[in-house]
Amino acid sequence: MKVLVVEDDLDLARTLKRALEEDGHVVDVANDGVTGETMASDSGYDVLVMDRMLPHKEGQEVVRDLREAGVATPVLILSALDGVEHRVQGLNAGSNDYLGKPFSTDELLARVRALWHGRDRNGPVTRLQVGDLEMDLLARTVHRAGDKIELQPREFRLLEYLMRHAGQVVTRTMLLEKVWDYHFDPQTNVIDVHISRLRAKIDRDYGAPLLHTVRGSGYRLEA
Amino acid sequence: MFALLSYVYYATAYQVSQDADAAIEREYKLLAGAYGSGGMRELNEQVVERSAAPGPLFYVLADQSGKVIAGDFDALPRMPTSGQTSEWVNFQATVDAATGGGSETHATRAYFGRLLNGPILFVARDQRDSRSAASRMTKALTYAAGISVAFSILAGLVAAWLASRRVELLSETTRQVMAGDLTRRARVEGWGDEFDLLAKNLNDMLARLEMLVHATRNAGDAIAHDLRTPLSRLRQRLEVALNAPPDADTDREALLYAQDETDRLLKMFNTVLQLARLRSPESWRLLRMDLTPIVEEMADLFEPAAEEAGLVLTKGRAPALMVQGDAQLISQALANLLDNAMKYTPKGGRVHVSCGQRSDGRIEIRVSDSGPGIPVEDRERVKERFVRLEVHRTSPGAGLGLALVAAVAEMHRGAFLLEDGLATGHGFGLAAVVVIPAIDAREGRRLI
Repeated sequence: MKVLVVEDDLDLARTLKRALEEDGHVVDVANDGVTGETMASDSGYDVLVMDRMLPHKEGQEVVRDLREAGVATPVLILSALDGVEHRVQGLNAGSNDYLGKPFSTDELLARVRALWHGRDRNGPVTRLQVGDLEMDLLARTVHRAGDKIELQPREFRLLEYLMRHAGQVVTRTMLLEKVWDYHFDPQTNVIDVHISRLRAKIDRDYGAPLLHTVRGSGYRLEA
Repeated sequence: MFALLSYVYYATAYQVSQDADAAIEREYKLLAGAYGSGGMRELNEQVVERSAAPGPLFYVLADQSGKVIAGDFDALPRMPTSGQTSEWVNFQATVDAATGGGSETHATRAYFGRLLNGPILFVARDQRDSRSAASRMTKALTYAAGISVAFSILAGLVAAWLASRRVELLSETTRQVMAGDLTRRARVEGWGDEFDLLAKNLNDMLARLEMLVHATRNAGDAIAHDLRTPLSRLRQRLEVALNAPPDADTDREALLYAQDETDRLLKMFNTVLQLARLRSPESWRLLRMDLTPIVEEMADLFEPAAEEAGLVLTKGRAPALMVQGDAQLISQALANLLDNAMKYTPKGGRVHVSCGQRSDGRIEIRVSDSGPGIPVEDRERVKERFVRLEVHRTSPGAGLGLALVAAVAEMHRGAFLLEDGLATGHGFGLAAVVVIPAIDAREGRRLI
């Protein structure tokens, strides 16, 4: 997909460009807010990666003006200001995700992909399917190979998020933020244990495992 | 002052003359009544009788033509205006002097009129009385005012002297503090006045300042110390890798190590920055919220990890507990407490998390464990940044977890306490308690 990176730190911009290109994307770079806004409103980008503190125009203002101009491209804000209040401001301005600096490249790549796939292209979804794992979002039921699987509400939401992002790497931080709504690092490996409990329910008694651990970055649900 | 005295004079004079007028009118009406019931004879008798009696009132009864029949005066001061049945008149009456011989002229006020069939009735009053009453009162007031003014000036001088002395003492204290002695404190006299309040506030401010300066100094040292160790370790590791003959596997291992180590350093920096941010109130977003679900959700998040670590994590039940707070920060503080409890509680132990209302009305979040606990004398110290007890130097963590909890408690105007936890045969365990003021569930006001 086509990604625009708006970042004034030239070293970081180059690193981001290379990492995204290695991940299979086409990447353009703008180094200030005004250029970024012009480029973002002209060409058809799939995802914008926007720094917050930019020369000429603040990243958040760029997003607000783009949204007012009717540009709906998903935006990931990067910022050294990662307090909850800054996140809320960023999301209120119309961005879709917020990543505090410093971040790992895996985290960024996972979020860029999630933004692209997370868009509602075919209206609201009521059923999700990965291999022989099926989820009915209306009846709140899960079946694997025809067997009903009992899940706690939190496990259901965890699996739902993984199924919505099937095939993509989902990081621990993403799960903490999107499933639990915690924007901090709880130190202990709490997420790993929740994943292994979920794995015991959906994978253990069946042939091919669906829930994979991606070393160093997170998890991927894939048939 | 003059205006006040004039007012008192005129008000008194007015009141006295009002009273006098009422008395005159009353007499006139009484006599007119006597005339009505007993005729001329009765009236004549009454006037004669009243004129003879001592008192401030004078009476005159005259016939239709104005010739005096009986009374105190030999002649009427003037005839009634034709057409008027009764009217008021002020005139100067000549009377015998009170002392010595001769006569004096007194201002006199009278009410008179024609009765039925023509006789003229006249009731007068010497006005000297009312004027002198007013002037006596004014004189007394003048003295009183003089005395009170003198007293006020004296008291004012004393108060001003005292005030300037106490201001001087306060400014002396601030001068000494400015000169660098942060341990100076202003004297509180114990009079409970504004100066005591000011001195107390100044002292509180100085105490806090002293604590902050101390903490900053300590943290600066601690940051330098805690960063130097991993940074030099990192540098050494990279140096070894660079000096060794190139080998893909060992190089990769060195890079992975470097990545882990920098991640740890970044995490440490982030926490230090977050701690700094917690101290600046402009970044606070405190909203009305229920603490109970926050505690329950965090217990649910940690429960599987606790089970895997061979611990039993239990949670207490509580009704809704409303506080003014930041849900993310309270969750983070609670996560740090649970992380700590799990780290230091040996396998097979217990961790209990609960929230509830204390006997003083405040709300508490309590994480108790059955671990070895912390000696009472070390409990205050472990809440500071980077402080880790020597015995735990080797276990992971940067010593920032409890400092963050303390900062979160402080920004919620609460407190962070360390108490005895779940007692076992081996020790008392540790209970980490975050106390937050309650707010009224309906009005959203802070109660304490």
